[in-house]
Amino acid sequence: MRLRPPTIVSILTLLFLLAACGGGGGGSSTTNATGSGTTSPGDTVPDLSDQCDLGALETAGGPVEITYWHAMQQANEETLIELTDEFNESQEQVKVTLLNQNGYEDNFTAFQTALGTDDSPDLVQLEDTALQRVVDAQAVVPAQACLDAAGANTDDVVERVVAYYSLGGVLYPMPFNVSNPVLYYNKKSFEAAGLDPEQPPTTFAEVREYADAIKSSGMEYGFAFKRDPWVLEQFLSLAGEAYVNNDNGRTGRATEATFDTPTAQAVFEFLDGGVGDGVFLTNPASGPSALDNLLSICNGNNAMTIDTSAALGTATQVLESGGCIAEVEVGVAPLPLPSAEVEGNGGVLVGGAANYLPANGDPARLAAAYTFAAFLASPESQATWAAGTGYIPVSKSSTESDTIQQLWADSPGFKVAYDQLLTGADNVATAGPVIGDYKGVRDTLTDALEAFLVEGSSPADALAAAKRAADEKIEAYNATV
Amino acid sequence: MSPRGALVVRYASLTVLGAIVLFPIYAIVVNSLSTTTEISNGFPWFPSSPDWGNYSKAWDEGHFSRYLLNSAIVTIAITAGQVATAILAAYAFAFLSFPLKRTLFVLFIVTLMIPGEVTILQNVATITDWNWKNTYWALVVPFLASGFGAFLLRQAFLQVPDDLREAAFLDGYGHLRFLTRIVVPLTRPAIAAMGLFAFLGAWNQYLWPLLVTSDDRYRTIQNGLSQLGGTSLQEFTTTYAGTVIGFLPVALLLLLFSKQLVRGLTAGAVKG
Amino acid sequence: MPAPHSRRLREALLAYALILPSFVVFGIFIFFPFAKNIEIPFYETRGGIGFGQNKTGGTRTWVGFDRWRDVLGSDEFRDTLWVTVKFTVLTVPTGIALGLLLAVLAHQRLRGITIYRTIFSSTVATSAAVASVIFFSLIGPQSGVFKLRIDGIPLLEHPTWALPAVAVVTTWQSLGLAFIVMSSGLQALPDEVLEAAEIDGASARRRFFRVTLPLMSPTLFFAFVVGSIAAFKTFAEIDLLTPGGGTGNNTRVLAYAVYDAGFRTPNGEVRAAVLAVGLFTCVLILTLLQLRLERRVHYVA
Repeated sequence: MRLRPPTIVSILTLLFLLAACGGGGGGSSTTNATGSGTTSPGDTVPDLSDQCDLGALETAGGPVEITYWHAMQQANEETLIELTDEFNESQEQVKVTLLNQNGYEDNFTAFQTALGTDDSPDLVQLEDTALQRVVDAQAVVPAQACLDAAGANTDDVVERVVAYYSLGGVLYPMPFNVSNPVLYYNKKSFEAAGLDPEQPPTTFAEVREYADAIKSSGMEYGFAFKRDPWVLEQFLSLAGEAYVNNDNGRTGRATEATFDTPTAQAVFEFLDGGVGDGVFLTNPASGPSALDNLLSICNGNNAMTIDTSAALGTATQVLESGGCIAEVEVGVAPLPLPSAEVEGNGGVLVGGAANYLPANGDPARLAAAYTFAAFLASPESQATWAAGTGYIPVSKSSTESDTIQQLWADSPGFKVAYDQLLTGADNVATAGPVIGDYKGVRDTLTDALEAFLVEGSSPADALAAAKRAADEKIEAYNATV
Repeated sequence: MSPRGALVVRYASLTVLGAIVLFPIYAIVVNSLSTTTEISNGFPWFPSSPDWGNYSKAWDEGHFSRYLLNSAIVTIAITAGQVATAILAAYAFAFLSFPLKRTLFVLFIVTLMIPGEVTILQNVATITDWNWKNTYWALVVPFLASGFGAFLLRQAFLQVPDDLREAAFLDGYGHLRFLTRIVVPLTRPAIAAMGLFAFLGAWNQYLWPLLVTSDDRYRTIQNGLSQLGGTSLQEFTTTYAGTVIGFLPVALLLLLFSKQLVRGLTAGAVKG
Repeated sequence: MPAPHSRRLREALLAYALILPSFVVFGIFIFFPFAKNIEIPFYETRGGIGFGQNKTGGTRTWVGFDRWRDVLGSDEFRDTLWVTVKFTVLTVPTGIALGLLLAVLAHQRLRGITIYRTIFSSTVATSAAVASVIFFSLIGPQSGVFKLRIDGIPLLEHPTWALPAVAVVTTWQSLGLAFIVMSSGLQALPDEVLEAAEIDGASARRRFFRVTLPLMSPTLFFAFVVGSIAAFKTFAEIDLLTPGGGTGNNTRVLAYAVYDAGFRTPNGEVRAAVLAVGLFTCVLILTLLQLRLERRVHYVA
């Protein structure tokens, strides 16, 4: 008797499930084991479904009321409200109340103080960099638990997003809003400088070439960028290099920084050269000047910049509204590579935020929160969400919907951002760094960027100083867990 | 210089200084009525067509209508509380003698020195323990006393002439009457100044209301304002409009009460 | 004799009763948290559930003064303290002098002087956030009215001039309050002393420096104490105008480091606690010095 393929698959699945359940172990030890991220990707992932009792929704006997603390503003908030209303009206088991916490930072501060109290939210939107902190604090129930309980999987989610938000094969938050940096440029300025507006630069060398041409054509600067450490993370990831050790903090806790590579040196030198020659413009990444790189395009001082894909909607609106000094036609291109050689080695990192399920000990509210989070990540919701906010849809099948197809036809820039997540390799570099004191490490890079771009030290010195300082921050954090 | 000339000089110097002080406020009002283009093209000294749209936008997006009432209630309560407790404490420090007076006074000043970052998280925990989250109590009670107020008023009370005090007691005035009939009227400018300061502190609070309220119905204006400081491009003029809305109530209050302040300033010390 | 004793007792009891409401509030919401805060750096906390100060569980080991020494001896403490001192020196004397100047000018009996008084006190309506937005709308390199740059570097990013710029904003913002405080001090001055000086034929400048200023010493003293305490604690303007503490941390004041460690650094509460106590101690020393100076210099009419 020949075993037909489906049977083989079912047998294998059964065997796998048996192995997984057998390797499972008690609830709490599972949390600890995955908590330190020490399982290697090759290990079988335990079944966490006993941490999430979806049945509690049925037995609740009435709508379960939950609160979702988020950081979305203005247009994004409106789209979120739209989705939430849709969810609330479509069923009777869960009622969601939104709370706008003004921004990621304040949301986290409030979450810190509310965790473990009656006031704790049932779903909370935390920034991408929060993963290690949240896991170390044992503050959340992994979304994986509810996925297992529901028998659901993440096949439809963009692989890189799953990789970013998972530790040891366990997905912690439910994905929600994703963005990544893209190259914005003014097609009109390209034309004026004799450059082909449909052929944006693809490497650093080309960026410099184009910027020089633009400057020669009379514009003050050819390229503007924010002194944002995020940018270095992206370029190293594009080159396929890890940011911290232990496989970017994924096979073991990170203990030192590894970003002081020749690629990083090249990135620094590229930026330094451009600024030094008066071809590049820089501004701080936060604070009132943070939008200057885009504003400079509006003012006609500059023609290219790198910024988050999430800004595409408003940027296009403002820049092309006719209210700018310069005539602007917005072009969007993938992030340029440090060099042509590294093509295919890596890819762009996931940015944005995701929805975590705080460990409140209330099974009904946990189940309700998961249901809502799953709704937000569903193909239909992601289509609405992407179209309304400019975030990248995390659901691959949502891109086939009319909404997204229409969006991409109207604004091809959005498709550029999405494609970036699927291009290149998927490895530890593109899975992204996992660092406890992420902000601390980023600060050392901001200092480095300021050092060689504004204060005049050398890129090499700045890089070395950043590595030393970052190591200190990592050590200091590791001493507290 | 002729008396006329001297007068001109006086007015000129006052005007120049006034203009310098006022210019930034004038600028933001003008900016809030313009569009981003107009601003990029140079300072619109006098906007030809004021764009009130920014205000309605700021009002909506900052949810001001919801928060205004809360801010008002909380701010007035805190101001009244601080003025009351400061007057009482200042009276004790200025007119009474008692053991540990100096130490206690230093402790009052010490409260000014302790950075807020140190106390806020613990206070959130205290409030949570008392089940005061999402109540007006949490927003008001921790701020009912003022070291600054006690300090300022003590200073002012000390300047009440001794002979007035002696006369009052000879006339059979008790402490309460002395306080209400003589001290308070004499030191009205200082009390007004202190009240204004208390009002502002309460009005401008941001982090505390954020942390002790998770119910939007109790939040205050500063929360609304911060929701306007978006990271997208078109928000500038809206932010400016929001900023003006944020300080307009206080400015109005100032205008209303400047008469009070001014009267005190011109009256000089009341004699007899 | 019983009468004076009981009178003194009653007076003392009355005094304590009057101070009590303030003290209860201070005790619960200021002294108690501060005391708990002082406790934090004596222990090393590892593990546990939750974040920073709000952790439960985990292991707590007594480490004595180790962490105190680490942080207080660190570059960060020294550097941020130095920036704080610079900032205080830039803002306090200037603010008081300007406030006094405006108060004196507005104290004249001129027609329409009320308008000027209102204008001079108007900045009191602004908060740090408002002042920062206003200021930036004026000097922002791409969005501002004047697009101010020095050596091609935007003002707020300049390694040397960013701190003075923030000082200007802070001084402007507190000018209204300085004016009000100085004015209320000025009005309390006994007119007959000032008149007597005028009759004596002293010039305006002489009168000011020999008579008015010494009489104003209680108010000035008050302004210096409160002003320096406020300057030491300034955080908002710096965070809004130069987030990250400016280029090369040239605007990173001690209060900023406290906030950074306490709210932005994961599990940074030990560092925050030590820095905060350091901040408090410096301010305390400064104030006590001023108090002692006041006792020496206090002018009695």
